[in-house]
Amino acid sequence: MIKLAETLVGLFVLAAVACLFFLAFKVSGLSSYHQSNSYELTAAFDNIGDLKPRAAVSMAGVKIGQVTAIRLDTKTYQAVVTLRIAKNESIPEDSSASIVTAGLLGANYISLTPGFSDQYFSNGGTITDTHPAILLEDMIGQLLFSMKKDDSKTDDGSDASTNTAVTSTAVSS
Amino acid sequence: MQVPVDATQDYVVANDLTFKRGDRYIFNHVNLTIPRGKITAIMGPSGTGKTTLLQLIGGALKPQGGSLHVNGEQITHFSRRELYRFRRQMGMLFQGSALFTHINVFDNVAFPLREHTKLPPAILREVVLLKLEAVGLRGAASLMPSELSGGMTRRVALARAIALDPWLMLYDEPFTGQDPIAMGVLVRLIRKLNDALGMTSVIVSHDVPETAEIADYIYVIADGQIIGQGKPADVMENQEPKLKQFIHGLADGAVPFHYPARAIDVDLLGEVPC
Amino acid sequence: MLTQVQRLGRGGIRKLLIVGDAGIVLVQTLFRFPKLAKSFPLLLKQLYAIGVFSLPIIIVSGLFIGMVVALQGYNVLVKFSASAELGQLVALSVVRELGPVVTALLFAGRACSAMTAEISLMKTTEQLASMEMMGVDPLWYVISPRFWAGFISLPLLTLIFSTVAIFGGYAMGVHWLGVDNGGFWNNMQGAVDFRLDIVNGIIKSLVFAFIVTWIAVYQGIRSVPTAEGIGLATTRTVVWASLAVLGFDFVLTALMMGGW
Repeated sequence: MIKLAETLVGLFVLAAVACLFFLAFKVSGLSSYHQSNSYELTAAFDNIGDLKPRAAVSMAGVKIGQVTAIRLDTKTYQAVVTLRIAKNESIPEDSSASIVTAGLLGANYISLTPGFSDQYFSNGGTITDTHPAILLEDMIGQLLFSMKKDDSKTDDGSDASTNTAVTSTAVSS
Repeated sequence: MQVPVDATQDYVVANDLTFKRGDRYIFNHVNLTIPRGKITAIMGPSGTGKTTLLQLIGGALKPQGGSLHVNGEQITHFSRRELYRFRRQMGMLFQGSALFTHINVFDNVAFPLREHTKLPPAILREVVLLKLEAVGLRGAASLMPSELSGGMTRRVALARAIALDPWLMLYDEPFTGQDPIAMGVLVRLIRKLNDALGMTSVIVSHDVPETAEIADYIYVIADGQIIGQGKPADVMENQEPKLKQFIHGLADGAVPFHYPARAIDVDLLGEVPC
Repeated sequence: MLTQVQRLGRGGIRKLLIVGDAGIVLVQTLFRFPKLAKSFPLLLKQLYAIGVFSLPIIIVSGLFIGMVVALQGYNVLVKFSASAELGQLVALSVVRELGPVVTALLFAGRACSAMTAEISLMKTTEQLASMEMMGVDPLWYVISPRFWAGFISLPLLTLIFSTVAIFGGYAMGVHWLGVDNGGFWNNMQGAVDFRLDIVNGIIKSLVFAFIVTWIAVYQGIRSVPTAEGIGLATTRTVVWASLAVLGFDFVLTALMMGGW
């Protein structure tokens, strides 16, 4: 009886420790990318929008790494983002990085578009071809601005034509 | 144990002992001595602080005034650690027996031994069985407290109280709620244990005949004062009204039947206060 | 008017006295570990009674809560075609809030009430007093193991609750509602931070554990030794412990959100 109690208490504590490991590694993804199984790249963006450390880095929709640090370069006034990429993912040196949003309202992440080079990035490499975040706020601002312009030009412009005009303005900018 | 024992010294000496609950005096400058090796009974109506006296002797309460020497030591200034050490020389039988309900009879009796001694299991078992034998319950060692009758429960509690061979045994109302047979057994047990183990016993009780049967000396307490003392026969003969009323169980007398109140006609017919 | 103010003041002082008294009991309990070799078996026994016996209710409620959060969350997220964010929603709400709070509330109802009832019954039947007369400190023998067992058990139970709840959400979301498996875990890992979410959740449950077990042992040891007193003390334990959990949850969340 006493032995059973002791065994069960031991199992209880072990189960809780196992749960802690589960929460740490499977839920929070703690150190799924660390020194030994990954390499570092940096990329400078004009605007990173809402990007946060620990955001995902993906290529063709597959997660291959994460953002580890973000800092501001005071010379160029660009945001320098440090990425950690899994070691077994080789990335051509002429690949481009862009900051995109998951869904309409989702979090920002970095999407890499592969290039065609035979040379691959090694630890400490820099992605030069970068596309800044597309900010929803800016798009809406431009939309309102162009709507106002359209309104002042023609009072009786139909809804449909205004919309197409706005969309094209937003995209082109 | 720690203090040199003077066999002629009184075990408990209270001088000018004063204890108050709120504004009410439980003990008002009481002097009393409990002689070594004898059975001393403290008697009195319910609610006169008989149990309080045991708690004072055990150090669970501290008096507001006066001194209280137990076995030559002034216990009122003991630190907690000293108090726990000191309590190993005394055993107490509680009114409700206070057996631990989650462990069986054997473990109950073994409890103080396990906590205070480092006896090997074989010897521990022997000691426990001997103590149970002394109260006639060796056969009940494996029962749980809930399986015992009231009388047996109290005897197990007695075995537990004497497990460490105390020098002083305190009995809090040992006879209440017992049938005549159990009562007779207990009376004989208390006397036998006291004489066989050379203990000093203090019995707090309001069961007059049983207590008078075994006590060597009786104190009667009422209203914070000692109203009578002496050998059982002397106390029984005493004509002091309060004492006589208590000893012979008269309903009304010096201790009034009624709790102090306003006159009944005022209470029933007068205006409702408040 | 003046009497009302007086009454308020008197009530306040009385409450303050209770807190002070509880503090004294706590300090006496905490600094009462004289014989470690003898204390450990007592602690183990209480861990068994308090921790292991609470497991079934914790696991079952964790499973249900995880599934309900997934179901509710899915129906909202699917409107924004963001159902892939379900993993994040389940994990964050469980790890940050539901895990620590619900476990503490269940623990208060399941374990703390039993603790209070047990201690106050031992007090009523003079078991504590007799222990004291036998030269064994009841604070050490009875109170301290229960306090530590509660303090250790609740965080462990919280970890188990959170894990089971996330699995419940996973089973609901991925296997029933058809959310993409990879997206579910990926999104979760991207959003849940170890330091900010999981460690903070554990800190919360440590604070809750401390408070609810403190309330339980205090109510037990200061109960009125009558049948009525035991009932009152048990009720008080559950009510006060639950309120304390919710109140402290607010305070801690505010502190943690404030960048702590």
